[in-house]
Amino acid sequence: MAEAAVPARRTGGVAAPGLPSWSGTALRVVVSIAVTLFGLMALTFFIGRMLPLDPVTAILGDNATQEAIDAMRAQLGLDQPLWIQFGRYVGDILRLDLGTALTTGKPVLDDIARVFPATIELATVGIVIGTALGIPLGVMAAAYRDTPVDYFVRVFGLLGYSTPNFWLGLMGLVLFYATLGWVGGPGRIDTAFQWDVEPVTDLLLLDTAMAGQWEIFRNVLSHIILPASILAFGALAYISRMTRSFMLEQLSQEYVVAARVKGLSWMRTVWVHAFRNVAVQVVTVVALAYAFLLEGAVLTETVFAWPGFGRYLTNALLAGDMNAVVGCTLLIGIIFVALNLLTDLLYRLFDPRTR
Amino acid sequence: MAEPRPRRMPTRRRHILAASALMASLALPGAVQAATPGNALVMAWNIDAISTFDPAQIGEVVTSELLQNTCDALASFDPKDEKNVVPSLAESWQVSEDGQQITFRLRDNLVFPSGNKGTAQDLAWSMHRVVKLGFGNAASLTEYGFTKENVEQMITAPDDRTLVMKLDKSYPTGLILQAIAANRVATILDRKTVMANEVNGDLGNKYLATHTECVGPYRLRQWNAGETVVLEANEQFWGPAPKLRRIIVRHVAEAGTQRLLLEKGDVDVARDLTPEDMAAVEKTQGLALSRTLKPQLVYWGFNNANPIFANEKVRLAMRYLIDYEGLGKTIMAYNGVPRASFAQIGAFGALDEKEGQPFKLDLARAKQLLTEAGYPDGFETTMIFGTLPYAPPIAQHIQANAAKVGVRIKLEQMANAQLFARHRGREFQTAMLAWQTAIPDAHGNASRLIANPDNRPEAKLTQYPSWRHAFQSEAANKTVDATLLERDESKRVAMYHQLQKDMMQSGPSAIMFQSVMLAGLRGNVRNWTWHGFQAYYALVSKE
Amino acid sequence: MSASTSLGSWLRAPIPASPFQARMQALWLGWRRLRSNPPALAGAILLLLLLATATFAPLIATHDILAQDLTVRLQKPSSTHWLGTDDLGRDIFSRVVYGSRITLYIAFLAALIAAPLGLIIGTTAGYLGGWADTILMRLVDIFLSFPSLILALAFVAALGPGIENAIIAISLAAWPPIARLARAETLTVRKSDYIAAVRMQGASRMRIIVHHVMPMCIPSVIVRITLNMAAIILTAAGLGFLGLGAQPPSPEWGAMLSTGRQFVMNAWWIAAIPGCAILLTSLAFNLFGDGLRDIMDPRHG
Repeated sequence: MAEAAVPARRTGGVAAPGLPSWSGTALRVVVSIAVTLFGLMALTFFIGRMLPLDPVTAILGDNATQEAIDAMRAQLGLDQPLWIQFGRYVGDILRLDLGTALTTGKPVLDDIARVFPATIELATVGIVIGTALGIPLGVMAAAYRDTPVDYFVRVFGLLGYSTPNFWLGLMGLVLFYATLGWVGGPGRIDTAFQWDVEPVTDLLLLDTAMAGQWEIFRNVLSHIILPASILAFGALAYISRMTRSFMLEQLSQEYVVAARVKGLSWMRTVWVHAFRNVAVQVVTVVALAYAFLLEGAVLTETVFAWPGFGRYLTNALLAGDMNAVVGCTLLIGIIFVALNLLTDLLYRLFDPRTR
Repeated sequence: MAEPRPRRMPTRRRHILAASALMASLALPGAVQAATPGNALVMAWNIDAISTFDPAQIGEVVTSELLQNTCDALASFDPKDEKNVVPSLAESWQVSEDGQQITFRLRDNLVFPSGNKGTAQDLAWSMHRVVKLGFGNAASLTEYGFTKENVEQMITAPDDRTLVMKLDKSYPTGLILQAIAANRVATILDRKTVMANEVNGDLGNKYLATHTECVGPYRLRQWNAGETVVLEANEQFWGPAPKLRRIIVRHVAEAGTQRLLLEKGDVDVARDLTPEDMAAVEKTQGLALSRTLKPQLVYWGFNNANPIFANEKVRLAMRYLIDYEGLGKTIMAYNGVPRASFAQIGAFGALDEKEGQPFKLDLARAKQLLTEAGYPDGFETTMIFGTLPYAPPIAQHIQANAAKVGVRIKLEQMANAQLFARHRGREFQTAMLAWQTAIPDAHGNASRLIANPDNRPEAKLTQYPSWRHAFQSEAANKTVDATLLERDESKRVAMYHQLQKDMMQSGPSAIMFQSVMLAGLRGNVRNWTWHGFQAYYALVSKE
Repeated sequence: MSASTSLGSWLRAPIPASPFQARMQALWLGWRRLRSNPPALAGAILLLLLLATATFAPLIATHDILAQDLTVRLQKPSSTHWLGTDDLGRDIFSRVVYGSRITLYIAFLAALIAAPLGLIIGTTAGYLGGWADTILMRLVDIFLSFPSLILALAFVAALGPGIENAIIAISLAAWPPIARLARAETLTVRKSDYIAAVRMQGASRMRIIVHHVMPMCIPSVIVRITLNMAAIILTAAGLGFLGLGAQPPSPEWGAMLSTGRQFVMNAWWIAAIPGCAILLTSLAFNLFGDGLRDIMDPRHG
C-alpha cells in the first residue's frame, strides 16, 4: 500500500474544491464522476483487448476443432471491429452485465456477489484491529515525540509498509498453524462446520453469532484472526503514521499550551483536547485504509486459500479469464472512486476549516 | 445466487450439528479441532481447470474423474484391471461377425435424478449431441467414422433398451469398447430436462456447465469455481448405493497447504502433493499414500516447421539433454516414471519399462549429434511451459544441460490457456506439455502424437499434437492405419513395438515422463479405488 | 575563498561565496540532519550495503547461481551452502546476492520511467492550466482509481509475464501520484515573480516548463519516488510471487519465494530468506525516504 499516494488524493480529489455553491459543486461532481467512470471503462476495455490470452481456447479446451473455435469467436463477437466491441462493452456494463466468467460459466457479477462477503469480513476484522492499535500508537508517538516511544512506533509503522504480506502470511501459517496449532488453517471455516451455518449475511462471524452457534463462531474466528492481523499490519502502519502527523500539528497549537498552563495533565490534554480536533481527519484516513485493505487482500487471500474477491481475481488472472479480470478491475475502480468521494464528503461536512 | 446450497439442506443437519458439537467439546482447549464429516469424503485438490460439467465438452482430468462418478457410460473399466471392460449402463453387448456393428442391451432401471426414466433413445441422442456440438471430445467418435451427417444413422435406438452402433471399418472390438463405450462420450443425459433448459440452440450446453443430469452413483450438488465441488449420492441410482453420502472437493492450489490440511485432519484426501510432501506423508503415522500410473505423458515437443527442429538429429540430440534418471529420482520421484515411448506403460502394445526408455543424460552424444546436424556451436531457442508444479524445475534443468552444449534456451512460463493457444497455433519453437489419452491401447497416442493426416497449416488439425508440431511421416501414418485394422493380436503388438522404437529416434517430441497419480489419505479412509482411467468414489468408505 | 580557512568553517560560513559553496553547504547540512536522524541513517547504510552487494555480487557469491545439482537439493544452511539450497540444488545465498541486482534494476528502472513521466505531465498540466489541465488530471484520476497492485496485475496480464513487462506495468501504475504532486508544486511556483520575469523576457512555455518549473519540482519528486521505491519493490515481488514477473531461472526474490512456497513445510528457509531480503530492502527505502523528506523539506519536520 502506497502511503504517499493517499494524502495527495484529497488535495484534488473527485470533487473540485473552492466552489461557492453546493449545487454547482454537486453538478461538477456528477459530471466528473461520469467522466471518470467512462475513463475506467475505456481503460479496462483496453486492458481486456490487450490480453494475449485467447478466451476461445479457454472456453473450448485444448482439444477443440478449428470449426468450433471459429463459431465461438463469432458468438462472442470477437470478429467485430473494436469500436463496436467497445460499444457493446459499455452497453453491457450499463445494464449491469459484466459478461460470463469463462472459468465458472456464471455471470461475473454473480460470482463477485458470491465471493465479496468473505473479503468484506476479512477486511472489516482487519480494519478493526488496525484502528484499535493504530490510533493509540499514533497519538502516543506524537505525545512523546522524538522519544524511544516515537521511534518504536515509526519503525514499527515502516515495517508495516515494508513487509510483503503474502510472505508474512506464509510464515504465519507455518508457525501458528502448522507448528504451534494456535489458529485455524487456510479457508474460512473447518469443513465439518461448513454446512451448519445458515447463510443470512454470508458474513460467517455475524451469521454464527446471530444463531448462537458459539462453537462455530470460535472456529470461524480462529480461521480469520491470522489473515486479518496480517492485513491489519499494513493498515496500522498507515493509520498510526497519519494520526501522528495530525496530532503533531494540533499539539503545536497555542490552546495546548494554554491547557497545560491551566494545569491539565499531559495525557488529558492530548486525548481530550487535541485528539478531538483530529477525529474527523482520522476517520477519513481509516476509510482510505479500508480501501487499501481490499488491495492487500489480493495476495493474502491467495496464501490463505480465502474464498474471497482477491483469490477470485488471481485465479481469473492465472486462468486467462478475461471477463472476470476486467470485471473485477472495473469494480475495484468504482469502489475506489466511491470511497474517495465519501471521504471528500465527510471532510466537507465535518471539518471546521472547510465549512 | 440461484445456486442451491447444500448447507440449506435440512437432511441430517441436526445429526451433524450434534456430532460436531460433541467433537468440539472433546477437543482440547484452543481454537483448532479438525475433523471431517463422517458421511462425507473431503478432498483437497487443485480444481482450477474445471470450466464445465457438460460431458460433450470436458477434456480435462479433474472434471473427467468427477464425471465418471456422476455419469455412467455404456460400459465401464474394471476397477481391478484397466484393460478389461465391464457392463455399466449396458448389461450386455453383441458384436456382429464382420465386426462392424455392436448391439448394446441397456438395463431397465435407469432413472435420472429428475425421476424421468432413461431410455436408449436418450442415450442415442446424447451421443449424437457430442458429435453435433463438435467440442474436442467429439474426436473420440469422429475418429471412428462418425460425422455430423451420418451419426443419426450410425447410432440408433430401435427400442427403449437397445442401442445399435454401426462402424465404418472393422476395428478391434476391445479398442472400440475402450474408446467409445467406456468413454464419457457414451453417457446418458436426461434429454427432457436438458432441452427444457436450452439457450439459443446450444443443446443445453450452458445449462450442463453447472449441472449433471445423468445416471450415476453421485450427482453434482454444487460447484463454486475455484472453491468447492460437492457431489451428493444419487437416490435414483440403479446400482448399490455409495458408502459415503457426499464427496466434497476443496480447491487448494498449494501442495504445502494440502499437506497441512491432511495432517491436521481437515481433509481426508490430498491430491496434489509434491514429492517432498509425499515423502513426509509416507512416514507419518495415520496417513497413507495411494499411487497409480496415469495414461498421461509429459513431453518436450519441437516445432518441426522450424528448420532447426526439422532436423531429425537435432531432435535426437535434445533427448540426450534430459536427465531422465536424475529428474526421475528427485523432482518426479513420486509423480512420474521416466518414459520415452509414446505408448504409456500398461497400454496394449506398449514396450516394457526398460525398452520404452533407453535414453540417459549424455552431453557428448548430444554434442556429436548436433555437430553432425550442422550445429557444432549450438543455437538459440525458446521453451514455453505452463503452470504444472514440476514444469519450472524440469525446464530449468534441461536449460542448464543444454547450455553446456551451446544450446541456449530461453524459458517462458505462462497460463495454461495461453500455452495451449500458442501450441495449437504452432506459435512456438519448443514446448513442454502433458498429453493424456483416454484408452488403454497404443493406438490412443499413436493416432494423435504420431499420425498426422494433413500437415498443411490451413488444415488446422489442432487436436493432433503431431499437427501442432508440424510433423508428418508418410511411413508412420501408414503403419498407424495398418496396425489399427490388424486383427491378429500378436502381429499388432509387434507392429506397435517397431513403431515405438522408430519414433523414439525420430519422433516429433521427446517424451519424458509418464505421470503417476498420487493421493495422500487419512488412515481411516478405506477402499480408495482407482487406476489410470477411472476413480471409484462409490466404493470408498470411512471408519 | 581564502586558502587558510579550514574545510569545516568553509562549510559553515554564514554567507556562501559561490554557488558551488552553497551547494556543498546544503549537502553538509543534509548530512548533519541525516546523522541526527538514526532511522534515516540506518536506511542509508542498508541501501549502501545493498548497492555494494549488487555491485560486487560476483565477488560475494560463493557459487554459480545457475549451477544445479540434484543430489544436494533442499539442503539446510551449512558451511558449504550458507543459506541452504533450493529445489534444483542451487545455492540460495548466491542467488539472493544476485537477486539484489534484479530488485534494484526493477526499482530504479521503474522509477526512471515513472518519475519523468509524472513530472512532465504534472508540470505541463499545472503550468498550462485550462483544458490541458482538466484532461491530464482526469487521466490521472482514472489511473488513481485503481490500487497500484491491481493496476499492475491487470497490465501484466495484458502484456504477458516477464521482467520488462513487469517494469512497464509497475511504471504505468506509479506515475499518477507523481504527476499530481508535480502539478501541486507547479501551481505554487507558477505565480512567483521569477517565473513572471522569465516570461517577460520572452521565453517559450516549453522553455519555462523545462528550465524553470521542473527544477523546482524535482526535490519533492525525488523524495516521493524514494518512498515509492518500497512500494515498487513490493509490487514487483508480488508479481514474481504470482509467476507474472521475472521468469526462471532468474533469481528474482519474489519468484524464489514462490518456489519456496511449495516446500514451505520441509524447507521453510527457501521461502523465508528471499522474504527477509525483500523486507530489508523495502524497509531501507522507506527509512531513507522518510529521512530524506525531513531533510529536503523542513516544513514536514
